[in-house]
Amino acid sequence: MAEKPKVIEKPDVLQQPDILRPTTAAPLVAFPIEVVVPEGRQQTPAVGQRASRADGRLHGLGQTKYIDDMYFPNMLFAKIKRAGVASARIKSIDTKAAEAMPGVVAVITGRDIPCNSFGPSLKDQPVLAETRVFHSGDGVAAVAAETEQIATEALEKIKVEYEVLTPVLDPLESLKLETPGIHAPSANIYGHKIIKKGDVEKAFAESDHVFEGSFRTQMVEHVPLEPYACIANWDANGRVTIYSTLGRITLGRADVGRTLGVPMSRVRIVATVVGGNFGGKNEIRAEPAMALLSKKTGRPVKCVYTRSEEFTSSTTRHPLIMDYKTGVTKQGKILGRKIRLVLDGGAYCSWSETTLGKACILSAGPYNIENLYAEAFVVYTNKTMTGAMRGFGAPQVCFAYESHMDDIAHALGIDPLEIRLVNAFDEGSLSPTSQKLHSVVVKESLLRAAKRFGWNGLGDGNGTGVKA
Amino acid sequence: MVNVTLKVNGETRSASVPPETTLLRLLRDQFNLTGAKLGCDVGDCGACTVIVDGKPVNSCLMLVGQVDGREVLTIEGMATADHLHPLQKLFEHFGSLQCGFCGPGVILSAKALLDENPDPSTQDIRDALGGNLCRCTGYTKMIEAIKGASCILRGEEVPAVKSA
Repeated sequence: MAEKPKVIEKPDVLQQPDILRPTTAAPLVAFPIEVVVPEGRQQTPAVGQRASRADGRLHGLGQTKYIDDMYFPNMLFAKIKRAGVASARIKSIDTKAAEAMPGVVAVITGRDIPCNSFGPSLKDQPVLAETRVFHSGDGVAAVAAETEQIATEALEKIKVEYEVLTPVLDPLESLKLETPGIHAPSANIYGHKIIKKGDVEKAFAESDHVFEGSFRTQMVEHVPLEPYACIANWDANGRVTIYSTLGRITLGRADVGRTLGVPMSRVRIVATVVGGNFGGKNEIRAEPAMALLSKKTGRPVKCVYTRSEEFTSSTTRHPLIMDYKTGVTKQGKILGRKIRLVLDGGAYCSWSETTLGKACILSAGPYNIENLYAEAFVVYTNKTMTGAMRGFGAPQVCFAYESHMDDIAHALGIDPLEIRLVNAFDEGSLSPTSQKLHSVVVKESLLRAAKRFGWNGLGDGNGTGVKA
Repeated sequence: MVNVTLKVNGETRSASVPPETTLLRLLRDQFNLTGAKLGCDVGDCGACTVIVDGKPVNSCLMLVGQVDGREVLTIEGMATADHLHPLQKLFEHFGSLQCGFCGPGVILSAKALLDENPDPSTQDIRDALGGNLCRCTGYTKMIEAIKGASCILRGEEVPAVKSA
């Protein structure tokens, strides 16, 4: 048996973080440092305390400076031309008329990007599409002008000739190996995961009932109130400073450096106050294009997405197609469960691998299932790319397995609460990937919640229900 | 170019701008009052809310020609050098704002409500915030703060809030 975690009876240092305490007092931290490991189910002193945000007052005064509230002398404004077609080959891009417009200072296309690919895991996303368009929100050219209005007008003057191709829009179609690869020559499946435990077919044979259910979720945009924005300033020393709403600046520096072909040490990213992230601002977008426009013009360049660009050209939540098959006893005890998840990855990978992994691991639900087979695939489609969003796939599978549990309970005539209590994790239960779980209070939480809500075994059909 | 003269936060200001300039752009780009935010530019999100002649408006939908000679209150005009408006005080106290981007708009919508209705019900507050989107907070703490501020403005004590 594992040794019980060591608990210091009175963690004085934690309770009194008074930095003004006289230095003559006993040293704050004993050496060697003792790590305080809270015992399972022990509540930290932070719970129940009222804390106010350090920036709360400035928010209320309207004094917080987001990127669009910043202005640098001589700054230009940039806009990006969007393809507007889901799948196409670019035959030509003519920027001459736009460049000739008074007030337009510089125009760039994919050809100007030294290394035109990036991404948090697979580097499959171009900064500006050069030869192929993979979804309609792809940028094909960027304009820097004296005012935002001139930049917007200049976009109309850029003439792009496309050879329109048939897009793949259905993830199940994309899953088939005979479907032409969007990023040819590879097939469209760009990530998969399988979790196998016990013998699921044997479990189905031994079950009193086997239930099947299919569930789908839709694409969701983060809709941060602050649209994506950045300001790039390439200075005379050959260093670029980028003000960005990026949540992961080190990853961003690496990606920007790679696309621009400069060492990371020449890229400085200033992470500003973010007007809502929710996972949608975790990777670079237009930063390299803005950096190049700044290099070309010798002036700071600001880019703010429109609300519609935020929908078409930023990441979204993965739509999932989830097929469940579950074998149960008469009492509702789960003997085996088989799951197939198909994630619609959109045009580029982004954080799909993380999402795929988490969705697959969590897809069985917080239940003890001896026999499990879960497989997950993520496929390319010619749609807006999908990436990180609160929970990385967890909310989608939760909707599926809990709806499936309700269906089973209903068919068996069992209280939906009861079927959760029969199957839910206990202290020391093994997760689908055989991780031993600690501090498990699912059943206690369910019972306490049911008591507080006055659970009647049915739900009132008006928003009341049970979920583990 | 059109010439506009209007009162902003009690001060008379003038500008000469293209006729298609919105009040939001005028405030942000000409007067450097960046408290009102551009969230959608089509009047959906309410981040650009300011008060014009006592009524809350989406400043992204109002052209400068429409505000000539009128009186505008922005978030910058709510507090004095040493006093926060009760709404600002309680929004801070209750942690009603997280990322804060919607905050100036929400607070001005709330102020317009309280100016008209000193004792609003929860439903009144919800209705008043109908045009202000927030993606962080779920609105609950905003409603608590607005209720609290209405108490202060009526000279009453702010009732203790039940913890969740």
